Amino acid sequence: MALQPSGVFFENYSHDKALIKTKYQWLSLAIFGIFLLLVPFLFGPRIIAVANIMIIMAVVAVGLQITTGYAGQINLGQAAFMGVGAYTAGLVATQFSLPFWISIPLGGVAAAAFGYIFGLSAVRIKGFYLALTTIAAQFIFHFAILNLPTSWFGGSNGLTLEPASLFGFEFKTDSSFYYLALIICTVMVIGAFGIVRSRYGRAFVAVRDDDVASSMMGINVVATKASAFLVGAFFAGIGGGLWAYYVRFVSVDQFTLFNSVWFVAMIIVGGSGSIVGALIGVFLIRLINELVTSIGPVVSEAFPFIGGDIVFAAMNIILGGVICLFVIYEPKGLMYRWNIMKTSYRIWPFPH
Amino acid sequence: MDHAIGDSPGAVKPVVLEANNLTLRFGGVTALNGVSLTILDDELLAVIGPNGAGKTSLLNSLCGFYQPQEGRIRFQGKDVIGQAPHQIAGDGLIRTFQGTHLFSGMTVLDNIMVGRHVHMKTGLLKSFCYYPWAHKEELEHREFVEEIIDFLEIEAIRHSIVGSLGYGLRKRVDLARALAMEPKALLMDEPMAGMNTEEKEDLARFILDIREAQKIPVVIVEHDMGVIMDIADRIAVLDFGSKIGEGTPEEIQKNEAVINAYLGGH
Ligand SMILES: Nc1ncnc2c1ncn2[C@@H]1O[C@H](COP(=O)(O)OP(=O)(O)OP(=O)(O)O)[C@@H](O)[C@H]1O
Ligand SMILES: [Mg+2]
Repeated sequence: MALQPSGVFFENYSHDKALIKTKYQWLSLAIFGIFLLLVPFLFGPRIIAVANIMIIMAVVAVGLQITTGYAGQINLGQAAFMGVGAYTAGLVATQFSLPFWISIPLGGVAAAAFGYIFGLSAVRIKGFYLALTTIAAQFIFHFAILNLPTSWFGGSNGLTLEPASLFGFEFKTDSSFYYLALIICTVMVIGAFGIVRSRYGRAFVAVRDDDVASSMMGINVVATKASAFLVGAFFAGIGGGLWAYYVRFVSVDQFTLFNSVWFVAMIIVGGSGSIVGALIGVFLIRLINELVTSIGPVVSEAFPFIGGDIVFAAMNIILGGVICLFVIYEPKGLMYRWNIMKTSYRIWPFPH
Repeated sequence: MDHAIGDSPGAVKPVVLEANNLTLRFGGVTALNGVSLTILDDELLAVIGPNGAGKTSLLNSLCGFYQPQEGRIRFQGKDVIGQAPHQIAGDGLIRTFQGTHLFSGMTVLDNIMVGRHVHMKTGLLKSFCYYPWAHKEELEHREFVEEIIDFLEIEAIRHSIVGSLGYGLRKRVDLARALAMEPKALLMDEPMAGMNTEEKEDLARFILDIREAQKIPVVIVEHDMGVIMDIADRIAVLDFGSKIGEGTPEEIQKNEAVINAYLGGH
């Protein structure tokens, strides 16, 4: 991401709407893109597996960013929406042998429907009570999966999937799946940018900032908030579908309230109300998570008297502490800090 | 607009907005007490009255945000009470706010673009794809918005975040956003409060220009009597929720009840 120096102001509206405005930005993006394409060649299997998880979670977190960061609707049920997507994709793939390029979108649609219904009932309440209601999504999801006939979703045994395949090629290895996930994630991220910079995105921010004024500007507040849930859940569903094909095993304990809280942490750290922020948040939180899981065994080996359980618990506490520090000292997230730096660079040397 | 009444001798203008016998209560407080008001096409009607007289309550009722317990409101012949505020706004009855109710996290441009929301059509799927549909729509409406930006002389701040602007400019953005909706009637709640004389003069000029160019009725709630006497065609006076006078600025200046309740009190 390059900075725009003083004096670059735009004549042309189309240019104004463009996400990438200078050739330095194009260059940085191209370099980043090439790097992403080379990941399977540059790194070992462990890192590629981590990258796959990051990409899947990025889709889900970007969706949450739209619901919570843009439209201001707290959502502690994003993992449940992801689970609906994963189970739906898994179900239609196993029962009807549909290819992944149909079953993953179907997972998104099912999650969107679930999210919309939840949104409609949740949008009339705010803040703390809304948070409680979205937690209910989490419990309804668990309850439904575990109590519906085992022949549908496998109950507590979960669902097992065949690998995704296209024209006879199977995305079986981590490396091949990486490219599939990267393509889908890229499409979803571009789509998210499309939504947030057009009519709906502005309406989302409007209802977040002032719902009374929004209604008098002709915005249907209830429908808009419910749409924000729909969009966020759609992204979660697509991420869930990807997850189903990556892990090739779907079970309820992969989509817990705990996971939902992690998604919220990601957008807090990255910066609320920014798509790029959501991506950065996913990267950082997953990175710290991975470090914690790899340092944990090392520590317990070096100091056997502490005991593995305590080390892991301590690591989680440290991770939770990092989040708390962010909420206290950088509540607007890293993207906000970055934008301030960028703005002060652009108008440098004039302080205001 | 099924009937019309004469305003000044000779001129017959259609009724755009009409309130009959509005009574609005909040628990024990009667904010409006049997208020009737008629707003004619292309007129500038001022609503004045002491603090707590019910002026904001009247505007809030007219645009559907408050639902009076009694009475009837009709905008262009259509009932207002019972409709949601966003539907009434969609019909073209637009208001600005006492203080500011802007979207503080957005730029000036985006705030005004929100005003175009009712005139835009792109759905979620097309927004997701963005090119070409959503992009095309954005550019078309941007052009409309730029005309308003030029008109209100806020070119220099179009990319500023609204939260960072001074009060006078924010009120102007509020007006710009309302204009972007292409109002068929404009209700303004104390647009000049907190402004200095120069800013007030600018705004008065803009309001007169708007009425001139768009031929829409403007209802303005304002405390500054000097400005009101200059620009209003008619004035309605509220006190303790009741309308105590109505007429041309000259008539109001001579009205005993008004002088006692309002002008005398200051
Ligand atoms: N939402 C509300 N809930 C309870 N009481 C209200 C509400 N809105 C207005 N009121 C009461 O109704 C009365 C009229 O208030 P309103 O805001 O309409 O006055 P106003 O003429 O706009 O005053 P100001 O010049 O201070 O803006 C006041 O007594 C006020 O306390
Ligand atoms: Mg008021």
